[in-house]
Amino acid sequence: MEEKLSWTELRRALAARAGVSEKQAGAFLNAMQAQLVEALKSDKQVKINGLGTFKLQAVAPRKSVNVTTGEEILIEGYNKLAFTPEAGVKELIESGKAESSEPAAASVPTDPIQKLGAQAEEIVDILGELGQSPVEAPEEPKAPEMPEPEPVFIPEPEPKPEPAFIPEPSFVREPEPMPEPPKKKKSHFLRDTLICLVILLMLLAGGYFFLRTELTTIIMSFIKPDETEIVVPVAADTIAVAMPEEEVIVEEPIESASEVEEVASEPKPESKPKAKAKKNNTLTEDQILKEFLEASGELAGPTAEYPDLITTEPMHQDSRLSWMSKRFYGTKAYWPYLYDANKDIISNPNDIEVGTPIRVPRLTEAQRDTTSAEFARIKQEAEAACMK
Amino acid sequence: MLTKDFIGLISNASGLSKKETEQLLTTMNAIVRENLMAGKAIQLQGLGALEIKERNERVIVHPRTGERTIVPSKNQLVFRPVANLKDELKKI
Repeated sequence: MEEKLSWTELRRALAARAGVSEKQAGAFLNAMQAQLVEALKSDKQVKINGLGTFKLQAVAPRKSVNVTTGEEILIEGYNKLAFTPEAGVKELIESGKAESSEPAAASVPTDPIQKLGAQAEEIVDILGELGQSPVEAPEEPKAPEMPEPEPVFIPEPEPKPEPAFIPEPSFVREPEPMPEPPKKKKSHFLRDTLICLVILLMLLAGGYFFLRTELTTIIMSFIKPDETEIVVPVAADTIAVAMPEEEVIVEEPIESASEVEEVASEPKPESKPKAKAKKNNTLTEDQILKEFLEASGELAGPTAEYPDLITTEPMHQDSRLSWMSKRFYGTKAYWPYLYDANKDIISNPNDIEVGTPIRVPRLTEAQRDTTSAEFARIKQEAEAACMK
Repeated sequence: MLTKDFIGLISNASGLSKKETEQLLTTMNAIVRENLMAGKAIQLQGLGALEIKERNERVIVHPRTGERTIVPSKNQLVFRPVANLKDELKKI
């Protein structure tokens, strides 16, 4: 930018372009110059459409030190004239001049980088000459090299490992909590219907039981006050039937009740929990689920591979195969066996519907060996299922 | 101060009409732009110089990702006030 358009040249060009005399153009330019200064003094800011804005910027006072004497001095605040080109003009200049400066720009870019590399090598060489260990050498040159051309280089090595680290833990965690939301809804619905069912069942049984005892007492009371001949044969019969019944109350009515209701209690060897439930009138969720499962005949029995089962447990809400493994075997490691024993029911170990009956096989000594090839195979299979 | 007010000031000082002044000012701006594009600096007497400066290409580093990108070189319009004006405006 050696060439300059002088004031005179500008005046001539202006006169020619605007079709005014040079004198007039000169008067305008001089007035403009004088007024710009005046306007800056009064307003501190002058906007000229088609060019840009001239602005007076205040620079705050600051402390400094006299280099020769070491004395502290105060640099007073002052005003600085700044010019901001109009957006259109700025773009025009940036785009229009890009072509002319391209050759120059092309040579510039590699320069700083080459410099850095050269400097680094030099420093490595120097350090090598000084007899420093080669391990330190590649690391150290970076530090001295940074401040000179690019102070921003420093944060570079640190931030990098961080972003790489962050995704990992979240990735590991994800598969576990994911299946929860759908489970919750299902279980609530299931539980509600189950509770309703059981209450209905109990009401029916209770009603039946009550009616029976009531009947006998009514009949009994009938007999006692007046032992009329007409009633006696009937009463004697009912008493004979009723008496033993009352003694065996716990077992008898239940059997008959369940028979009447046809909710099917065939695969039910133990009638104890039911009797208990009737007495206390309180049922845990477990028992409800168990009853339901047993009653509907879905209960999973022993399989060929796992003939010996510790128990069969319905899947709890928020439970995991690994937690069940921990509970039954004392370690989470054996959870693949739980999957293996139930793979006919479970498709994805991470997404088991609440209430699904889970067979808990008794593990043999051989199976407890986590280093065996068999265990590895089962584990691999189970983990593959998790990915489904 | 906006262009309109500035035109009024010049008009008052030069004796030209506002319309003429406005026309002259836009013409002047056009001439200035054209000359700048042609690679010429503009010397404004008593004010300073408008010139184009080339900004070198530089490497920037994203502080979080450490990613490096090259900011291409570009040209900027800069105004260099003359020393007199600078001093005059330092203290108001």
